Amino acid sequence: MYTLTERFTRVAALLLLLLGATSVAAGELEGPTGPVLLTISGDIENTNGDGTAAFDLDMLRALGATDVTTETIWTPGTITFTGVELKTLLDHVGATGSEIDATAINDYTVVIPVSDAVEEGPIVAYEMDGKLMSRRDKGPLWLIYPYSSNAEYRTEVIYSRSIWQLDRMAIR
Amino acid sequence: MTLATGFRRTGRAVLTVLALLCLLAIAVLVREVVKELKFLSSASSDNVHWTLSQAEVEFLEFRNAVNWARTAPETPLSSVIVEFDVFYSRTSTLANGSLYSSLREDPAFDAPLTEVRDRLNAMIPLIDGPRDELRANLDDLAAQADEMRVLVRKIATTGLQHFALESDELRTSVAVTLLRLAVLTGLLLLALAALLMHARRTAQQTEKRGKELAIAYARLNTILNTSLDAVVVTDTTGRIQNFNPAAERIFDCRLKDVRGKRVGDIIVPEHLRDAHEAGMARFAADGEHRVIGQGRVKLEAMRSNGETFPVELAIETAHAGDEQLMVAFLRDISHRLAAENELVQARDKALAGEQAKAEFLAMMTHEIRTPLNGILGNLSLMEDTKLSSDQSRYMRNMKISGELLMRHVDAVLDVARFESGADKAQEDVTHLGHLFQDIVDSQTSAAHAHGNALQWGWVGTPEEWVEVDSSRLQQILLNLVGNAIKFTREGRISIEAEVIEQGEPAKIEIRVSDTGSGIAEGDLARIFEDFQTVSHQVSDSVGGTGLGLGIVRRFVQAMDGVIGVESTLGEGSTFWLRIPVLPVERPVEDSGAGPESEAPSDLEILLVEDNDINMQLAYEVLVGMGHHVTEARNGQEAVDITAKRPFDLILMDIRMPVMDGLTATKMIREGDGPNWNAPIVAFSANVLPEAKDRFAAAGMSDFLGKPLQRTELAQIIVRFCAGRDRRVKLDGATPLLVEQKESPMEKLRNRYMSETSSLFEWLAGLPEDTHAIADRAHQIAGSAAAFGQPGVREALLLVEQAAEAGDREDLVVAISEAQAAWKAAPEPSLVG
Repeated sequence: MYTLTERFTRVAALLLLLLGATSVAAGELEGPTGPVLLTISGDIENTNGDGTAAFDLDMLRALGATDVTTETIWTPGTITFTGVELKTLLDHVGATGSEIDATAINDYTVVIPVSDAVEEGPIVAYEMDGKLMSRRDKGPLWLIYPYSSNAEYRTEVIYSRSIWQLDRMAIR
Repeated sequence: MTLATGFRRTGRAVLTVLALLCLLAIAVLVREVVKELKFLSSASSDNVHWTLSQAEVEFLEFRNAVNWARTAPETPLSSVIVEFDVFYSRTSTLANGSLYSSLREDPAFDAPLTEVRDRLNAMIPLIDGPRDELRANLDDLAAQADEMRVLVRKIATTGLQHFALESDELRTSVAVTLLRLAVLTGLLLLALAALLMHARRTAQQTEKRGKELAIAYARLNTILNTSLDAVVVTDTTGRIQNFNPAAERIFDCRLKDVRGKRVGDIIVPEHLRDAHEAGMARFAADGEHRVIGQGRVKLEAMRSNGETFPVELAIETAHAGDEQLMVAFLRDISHRLAAENELVQARDKALAGEQAKAEFLAMMTHEIRTPLNGILGNLSLMEDTKLSSDQSRYMRNMKISGELLMRHVDAVLDVARFESGADKAQEDVTHLGHLFQDIVDSQTSAAHAHGNALQWGWVGTPEEWVEVDSSRLQQILLNLVGNAIKFTREGRISIEAEVIEQGEPAKIEIRVSDTGSGIAEGDLARIFEDFQTVSHQVSDSVGGTGLGLGIVRRFVQAMDGVIGVESTLGEGSTFWLRIPVLPVERPVEDSGAGPESEAPSDLEILLVEDNDINMQLAYEVLVGMGHHVTEARNGQEAVDITAKRPFDLILMDIRMPVMDGLTATKMIREGDGPNWNAPIVAFSANVLPEAKDRFAAAGMSDFLGKPLQRTELAQIIVRFCAGRDRRVKLDGATPLLVEQKESPMEKLRNRYMSETSSLFEWLAGLPEDTHAIADRAHQIAGSAAAFGQPGVREALLLVEQAAEAGDREDLVVAISEAQAAWKAAPEPSLVG
C-alpha cells in the first residue's frame, strides 16, 4: 500500500513528464541554432539527434547561469567565472552513467566521476570576468571548480579534471 | 626538606620542563609537517611536468597542422587555427599561472617563453586574417615554427629541471622535518619514560609511605587501645574526638555515645565544671593554659553514673593538619590513693610503735631507774642498821639482784642513748698505758676468780699519750675483758696494743685474747648484733641482755674504728679493734685543783622532788656538801616558795603531781619573784636529747641526770654558783654552822671505811671460818658498790664464792686480789 506522500510524488512525477513532453519533445532536445560548443554523448536520455546532445551558447545560457569567483593556479588574480552547473547540464541531458569522459579540442581527455556534479560544485564556464572566453584564453568552455571556497577542490586530481577548451563529454 | 627530596624535586621539574619543551617542539614540527602535507595534498601543483611536456606536445601538434596544410592545399585551415589557439592558451598559462611564478623568475625559462609569446602574438593577425593569406604564408609559419621548436624545448626542459629541484628540496625539507620530528619524539619518549619511571618510583614510595603510615597508625591505635590510661582527644572547644577503650572503661561510656559532645559535660564533676569552662575560655581567648603541658596534675573526674573519683591528669596540645587538638591522659588513681592511705596509716602505726618504744625507753629511764635507785640506796642505808643474819642474807641477795637489774637497764639505756645520738664522742688526752693498767687492775680479781691470768702489753713501739674518747675505749675494753673472763677457766687473758699505722691520726690495734671456750664459727657473724647471746656450757651462770658486744660495736664504729673477732672453738678467741688516735705531747701536769675544791658551800638550794627516797638521797648529798636545802614536793610548791625568797640554785624534777617541773620553771621565769633568773637545773632520769631540748625550751638552765652523781652535781654548782658562798653572811643572819658532828653520809662512809679496813685486817690472818669470811666479804661487797668501789665489790664477791666453795687456795688468791683492789680503789663516796 502506498503512503500518501509516495502517491503524491508519483503523481507529480507523471505530471512533470507530461508537461516536459509538451514543451520539449520527450527525450528530444531542441537543436542548436548557433555554432555547437559542446556535444554530450553516451548514456543520456535526452538527445537532439544522432544519440547525442549538442549545445550552442544560447542553449547553455538557457540552462541558467552560475557565477564562481575564485583564484586558479593557471591565472593571475581572482576571477569571476560564469557558466552552467555541471549538475544542471547532466540533469538536462538525463545522464545515467557514473563517469564522464571529458575531451578538449586537442583530444586531451580526463575522466570525471558523475558524483563531482553537485550543487555549488563545478560549472561549465563560458564567461571569464563577464567576457566570453576565446579559444586562445582556454575557451570557449572551461570546467571550473570553486577552488577558493573549498579546500577539497585544491588537489592535483581536481586540477587535472579542470579541463579547458572543453568540447565533448561522453557519459558512461 | 632533605637534600635528597630537593634533588628529586629539581629532577622532576627538569624532566617536566624537558617534556614540555619536547611537546612544544613536536607541536611546531607537526604543524610544519601538516603544512607540508597540506601543501603536498592540496598543493597548488597540478601535474607541472605533464603541463610542461604538454606545451611541447601542443606546439608539435600546431607545427604538424601547419606542415599538413602545406602538403595538402585543399584541406581547410581550421586545424591550424585550433592548434594555434591551444598552444597559445598553454603559453598563457605558463606566462600567467601562479603555479609557474617561481619558474618565471628563472631567466632561462622566462626568456624563451617571452620570445615564444612574442612570436605567437606576431602570428595572430595572420591566423585571424583571411584564410587565403594564411594559406599563402604557411611556409613562413612553418619556418617560424621550426625556429620556435628549440625555444619550446628549452621551456619544457628548464621547467622540468626547476620542478625536479623543487621537488627534491621539498622532499629534503620534509625528510629533515620528519627526522627532527622523529628525534624529538624519541626525546619526548625518553622524557616520558623518565617521567613514568619517576612517577612509578614516587608511586612506590607513596605506597611504601602509605603502608608505613598504616602500620604506624595501627601501632598507635594498638597503643591507644591497650593503654591502661584513659586517652581523651578533644578539639579546642572541648568537643570529644576520640575516647580510647581505657577511657570507655574508666568513665563507663561508649565512644559512639560521647563523640562530638562537650568533654566538660561527660567527665568533669559538677563542682569543677565552672573552673573547667573558665580554663577552656582562657585557652580559647589567648592560648593561656594552666594545666596543659604542666605534667601530671591531680584532679577529680566523674563516671557516667555521676560518681567522682581522683585522677592524675596530663594534657598536651597537638596539631593534626590545621586543626589543634587537646589530648588528655587520665589515670584512675583511686586505688593508688587508697593504697597510699593504707601505707600512710601503716607508717603512722609504725611511727606510733617507734614512739611507743621511745616512750618505753623513757619509762625505763624514769620509772624503773628512779625507784630502783631508791631501792639500792635504801638497801645501802639499811645495811648500816642492825640486821639478823637471815636478814643480811636476804639483803645481800636483794642487792645483787638489784644491781644486776640496774646493769641491764643501763645496758638498754646505753643502746637507746647511743641510737638517739645523745652520746657524743668526747675526746680527751689520755695515757693509754694507764688506761690499760686501770682495766687490768680492776678486772684482775674477777679474772683470778676463774683462775685466769690477766695482763697487758705493747707490741712494738708504744704510743702512750693520745687524744681519744677514753671513757668509751674504757667501756669497750671492760666489756671485752669481762666477756673473756666469763668464758675462760684456768686460762690466760691478754690485752695487746700495737701501733699499726703511724701518722696523725695514727692507728692502733688493740687485741683482747683469751684461751677460753671459743665461739662456734656459725655464731661469729651474729655476736655483734643486739640481743644476741651464745649458749655455752661453761657459762650457764653467766646471763646478760646480749647487748654488750652490740654496744661495743657501736662505740668502735662511732670512733671511726673497726672491730672483729677470730676464734677457734675450744681454743680461745681474739677480739681486735682498730681505732684512729691522735698522738699528743705529754700534757703539763694540772695543779690538781678539782672542781670539788672550788665548789662554793653554804648555798641556798631548792630541791623540788616528789619521790621521797630520791628527795632524801639528794638532800643528804647536798647537805653533805655543806648547803642549805629547802624541799618542795611538786611544781606548785616550788612556785610558791620561790615567790617568797631567793635561791642560789633550784634542782627541779620534771615529772611531778599537781604541777610538772617544766610548767613550774616557766612560771618562775615569767613571774616577777626574786628567782626569775635563778639557775634552774632539770633533775630527771630522762636523759634523751629531745628531752633536754624540751627542758631548755622551758627555760631550764641545765640538766642533771638521775641517779645523782656527786661530781656532776659539784660541776653544776661550780658553773652556776661560783662566788655565791657568802649568801648567808650577806643576808646578815648568824652563820648557821653545819653541825660539827658528822652528817649521815659521812657516818656511812666512815663506817664503811672502818669496816672494810677491819675486814681486810681480819682476812690477812686467813681465818678458818669460811662461812664468816663469806658473810663478812659479802657484807662489805654490798657496801663497796654503793661507795663507788665496784672493783672492791667484785673482788670481795670472789672471796665470798671461794669461801663458800671451801677452796683454801682459791680463797688465798681471792683475798690477795681483794686487798689489791682495796688499795687501788678510789676514795669511797656514796653513789646516787
